[in-house]
Amino acid sequence: MSLLDLKLIRDLRALKSQAAAVAIVMACGLAMMIMTRSLIVSLETTRDAYYRDNHFAQIFSRLKRAPNSVAAQLTAIPGVASVQTGIALSVTLDLPGVIEPATGLIQSLPEQGELTLNRLHLRAGRILVGRESTGEILVGEAFAQANQLKPGDEMAAVLYGRRQQFRIAGIVLSPEFIFEAPPGSALPNNKTYGVFWMPYKELARASNLDGAFNQLSLRLVPGASEPAVIAAVDDILRPYGGRGAYGRTSHPSHTRLRDEINILNGLSIGFPLVFLSVAAFMTNAVMSRQITLQREQIAILKAFGFSNGEIGRHYLKFSIVIVASGTALGVLGGVFLGERLVDLYHVFFRFPALKFQLASTVVVLAVFVSSIAAIIGVAGSVRAAVRLPPAEAMRPEPPSSYRPALVERLGFGRLFTVTFRMALRNIERRPVRASLTVGALALATGILIVPNAFRDGIGHVLDYQWDLIQRQTVLVSLIEPSPARTLADFTALPGVILAEPVCGAAVELRAGNQFRRLSITGLPAQAELYRVMDSNGRQITLPPEGIVISKKLAEVLGVKIGETLFVRGLEGKRVEFSVPVAGLSEDFAGTAAYMEIGALSRHLGEGDRINAAYLTVGAGQWNEFLRAMKASPRAGSVVVKNKIRQGFRETTAKSIGLLQQIYLTFAAVVAFGIVYNSARISLSERQRELATLRVIGFTRGEVATVLVGELVMLTLIALPCGLLIGSGFARVILMTVNTEFVRLPLILTAQNYAFAVLVVAVASVVSALLACRRLDQLDLVGVLKARD
Amino acid sequence: MAHAAFTSADSDLVPVFQARALAKTYGEGEAMVRALAGVDLECRAGELVVVLGASGSGKSTLLNLLGGLDTPTSGSLFYRGWDLGGADEAGLTRYRREAVGFVFQFYNLIPSLTARENVALITEIAADPMTPEEALHMVGLGSRMDHFPAQLSGGEQQRVAIARAIAKRPAVLMCDEPTGALDVSTGKAVLEAIERINRELGTLTLIITHNSVMAEMADRVLTLSDGHITGEKHNRTRAAASTLAW
Repeated sequence: MSLLDLKLIRDLRALKSQAAAVAIVMACGLAMMIMTRSLIVSLETTRDAYYRDNHFAQIFSRLKRAPNSVAAQLTAIPGVASVQTGIALSVTLDLPGVIEPATGLIQSLPEQGELTLNRLHLRAGRILVGRESTGEILVGEAFAQANQLKPGDEMAAVLYGRRQQFRIAGIVLSPEFIFEAPPGSALPNNKTYGVFWMPYKELARASNLDGAFNQLSLRLVPGASEPAVIAAVDDILRPYGGRGAYGRTSHPSHTRLRDEINILNGLSIGFPLVFLSVAAFMTNAVMSRQITLQREQIAILKAFGFSNGEIGRHYLKFSIVIVASGTALGVLGGVFLGERLVDLYHVFFRFPALKFQLASTVVVLAVFVSSIAAIIGVAGSVRAAVRLPPAEAMRPEPPSSYRPALVERLGFGRLFTVTFRMALRNIERRPVRASLTVGALALATGILIVPNAFRDGIGHVLDYQWDLIQRQTVLVSLIEPSPARTLADFTALPGVILAEPVCGAAVELRAGNQFRRLSITGLPAQAELYRVMDSNGRQITLPPEGIVISKKLAEVLGVKIGETLFVRGLEGKRVEFSVPVAGLSEDFAGTAAYMEIGALSRHLGEGDRINAAYLTVGAGQWNEFLRAMKASPRAGSVVVKNKIRQGFRETTAKSIGLLQQIYLTFAAVVAFGIVYNSARISLSERQRELATLRVIGFTRGEVATVLVGELVMLTLIALPCGLLIGSGFARVILMTVNTEFVRLPLILTAQNYAFAVLVVAVASVVSALLACRRLDQLDLVGVLKARD
Repeated sequence: MAHAAFTSADSDLVPVFQARALAKTYGEGEAMVRALAGVDLECRAGELVVVLGASGSGKSTLLNLLGGLDTPTSGSLFYRGWDLGGADEAGLTRYRREAVGFVFQFYNLIPSLTARENVALITEIAADPMTPEEALHMVGLGSRMDHFPAQLSGGEQQRVAIARAIAKRPAVLMCDEPTGALDVSTGKAVLEAIERINRELGTLTLIITHNSVMAEMADRVLTLSDGHITGEKHNRTRAAASTLAW
C-alpha cells in the first residue's frame, strides 16, 4: 500500500461520520432506484413469461349469445391464430359463516381438454377436465386466500337466480386476472370479489346458453393487425349482441398492471435523482472543506515532487470510497426493500411466481450515475488545490473578507444582535453554498410531501366515492334487465329505507374520430343514493335531455359542454342517437357517462327498465335483509359498500402505508444527512472562531447558538421553498397516475405540510445537537495557538 | 453562580492570584510530560508581570491555568480567594467571561465582524463594560472602527484584540506572545496599548513571551524553565514600551 493510500485511510477514519452521512444519502437514492427498477423488471419479465406460457389472449369480447358454430367464422378471420369461446356470468356467493354476500365472475372450462387461451395455473387441488358436471368449481387464488378457502370446501353461489352448492376442486391463477378485481376498480378487494371456473355444460345449463357462448378471447398470428381483426370480430358478432371487441390495452387486469409499472417508472427516476443530486452536493461540500484543511499538506506533497495527477487521484479516491460504500449499501437496501415490496405486490397482482429480479443493468447505471455525481462533487476543489504553486499553498489562506450584509447596507443592521449579523454575513459571503444548502434542505422537505399527498389523495378518492357520490348501503344488480316496477320488490324487503333504480346500457360514444365504449348509467334526475357531482362538489341534476360525462372522458373525446356526442347502442335494439353534453362530472376511477333514467329508456326504445338498484338499509334489520336478499331470485350480485371499504382498509391501505413509510424514512434520512453535514462543515471552518468565543467567556450554549444560528436561518428559508417544491413534486408524480382508469386528486393538507416541517425540524435539531456535542471536544488552547 | 471575587475590584490586601505547588502533567506512563512542576506564585492588582521562558518551559501552561483555560493536576490555585484550581466547566466559563481578558499571538478576531462589533461581542455579555468606542479609542483605533479584520494591518488587528480583551474592564489581562506575529514598530505600538491599559485601569497584566527585551517594561519578571520558576526579578522602574528595541 502506498503511503498516500495509508493517508487516505487515516483521513477517512477522521472523516467517517461525514463520509457516512454522504454515503447513506447516496444509498437511499440508489436503493430507491434499484428497488423500483428491479420491481419493474420483475413485473415485466414475470408478466411476459406468464402471458407467453399460459397463452394470454390478445383480443377479447363479450356478447349476448352466439351459437358455438360462430367460432369457426372467427377462426377464419385473417390474422387470427386461435380462438377460445366460452361463457362468463356474474354470480353472488354465499360463504359459510359470512353474512354479507360476495360477488364474482364465473367462467366456463372447455368441454374437451384444457383452455387453449388464458390457461389456468393450478395452485392447489386439481384442474377440472371433461364435459360432465360434478358440482365442482375452481376458485381464483386471491379470493380463496382472503376467505380461507381450500380444495374440498363447500360454497354456495346464486347462478342466474338459482342457488347451487359447489365443492372446491382446485385453487387456480389466470393470466386474465393477474389483477383480480371487478373491471374498472383501481384497488382489489379479494374478500368480496372473486373469479371462478366450472365445466361448460353446467354453466350453460344454468344460464340457458347451451350450445352457445357469450365471451371470446383470441390470439393473433405475429404481424397481424389488431384493429383490423377487432373490426372483423365486431362485424361477425354484431348479429349476436356483440359488445365490441378490445385489445390488451383495454383489458382491465392488463391495464391496471401497466399503470402500476408506469407509476414505478415515474418513481424510479424522480426520487433517486433528487437524492443523488443532494449526495453530489454533500460530497462537494465535504471534499472542498477537506481540501481546504489539507492545503498545506498538498503544498508539501507537491514540494516533494508528487505530480498534480497523483494528488488529484488521491483526493478522487476519497469520493470513490464514499461512492463505493454508498453503492454497496444502496444495492443491499434496494434488494432488501425490493424483496419486501415483491411480497406486497402479491396482494395486488397474482402471478404463478413473482420473484425479485435485481435489475443488474440498473446497478451498473447506478454506480455510473453516483460516480459521476461524486466526481463532479470533488473535481472543482481538487483542481483549485493542485493549481496552487507550493510556496503559495504553504502560506495560510488570507483572512476571509467580509462586508456588511444586504439588510445592514439597507440600514436595518441595528435591529440585529452581533451573532445574528455574523450568521447573515457568513451566508452572504458564500451565496452559492448557502443556496445549495437551502436547495438540498428544501428538496428534503419537498420529498416528504409526496408520500402523504398520495395517502391524502387516495383517502379523498375513497371518501368522495363512498361518502359523497355513493350513499347507498348496497348495490343490487339484477340477473337480467327488468321492468321498472321491480324496484317495488326491493322497497318491500325488510329494512329497506330507500331504493333507487339504475339502468345501464353498453354503448359506443363518439365525437369526431375519438370514441370510447362504456356503459351509460341511467339514474333519477336528482338521485339521493348515487349523486353525480361536478368539480365544485355540487350535485348535478341530470337534465331531461343531454348527457353528463366524466371530465376525463370529455378530455379524451375532445368535447365541451354544449357539443354533441354520437351514441351507438351495443346491445338490444342497437339504437343510434345524438345527445348534447349537458355537464361534466368529477370522478376518479375509470370514466363514466350518466343520463336521466327516463331519457335513457326513451332513447333505447326498450320501455322503462332497470338492471340494478341502490338501497339504503336500516342497521337494525341488516341480517333479515341479507337473508331475504340471498333468497331473492332476481338479485344477480349484491355489493355491500362498507364491506368494500373495510376490505380496502385491511389490505390495500396497509400496503400503501408500507410504501409511504419507506419514502418517508428516506426523506428523513436525507434531511438529517444534510443538516448534520452542514453543521459539521461549519464547525470545522469556524473552529477557531468558536474556540475564541469560548475563551473570551461565551458559554457552550452561546457558542452553539452561533454555530447553528446560520443553519437555523437557512432551514427557515428552505422550509417554505420545500413546501412549494414538494407541492410541485406531488403534482408531477400524481400526473403520472392521471390515466383514464385511475386518477388521484392533488390534496395538500395543512397536516401534510406541518408533518414535513416537523420532520425536517426534528432532523435538524438532532443533527445540530450531535454536531454541537463536538463543541465540548474543541481544543481551546490548541486551536488558538495554531495558524489557520 | 456569582462570586464576589469576579466583580469587586478589591483591595491590594488579597492577592489576585495565589498558587501553591501548582503542577500540570499531560499524558500517562512513558508519554507523561510534566509541563508545570510545582509553582508557587502570587500576583497583585495593578502589577505588570512578564513571564519569560523558552518554548517548552511551561509558560503557556501557566497562562492556561491562570486564564481558566485548563485545570491543574495538583496544587492549589486561588483567584481572589476563590478556588480557581477546583472550578468546574461552568465556573471557568464564568471566570473567563467576567474576570479575564485574553490577547493571543494570532489575534483571533472574528473575520465576519467589524472592529467595533468584535469588541461589542464582549460588551454584550459583560456586566459593566465600557463602550466598544471607548475601548477602541484606548488602543488608538478610533478611526477604523467599522473596518473588517481583512481590511486592517496585523498591528491594528492585535490592537482590536486588546480592545476586545479590556472592554469588559477585566481584573486580569493575559497576553500570550502579543507581538509574536508583528514587526518591531507595530509590536511596540501594541505594547504601548497594553502598558496604557495597565496604568490607567490598574489591570493585573501578564505578558508571556520569549522576548527578554519586554522584561524591561515589567514590574516583575518571572523566568520559567522546565516547569519551574527559576528566576524572579523586580524592576525598580519600568521602562516605557516606546523605548524598547529588539
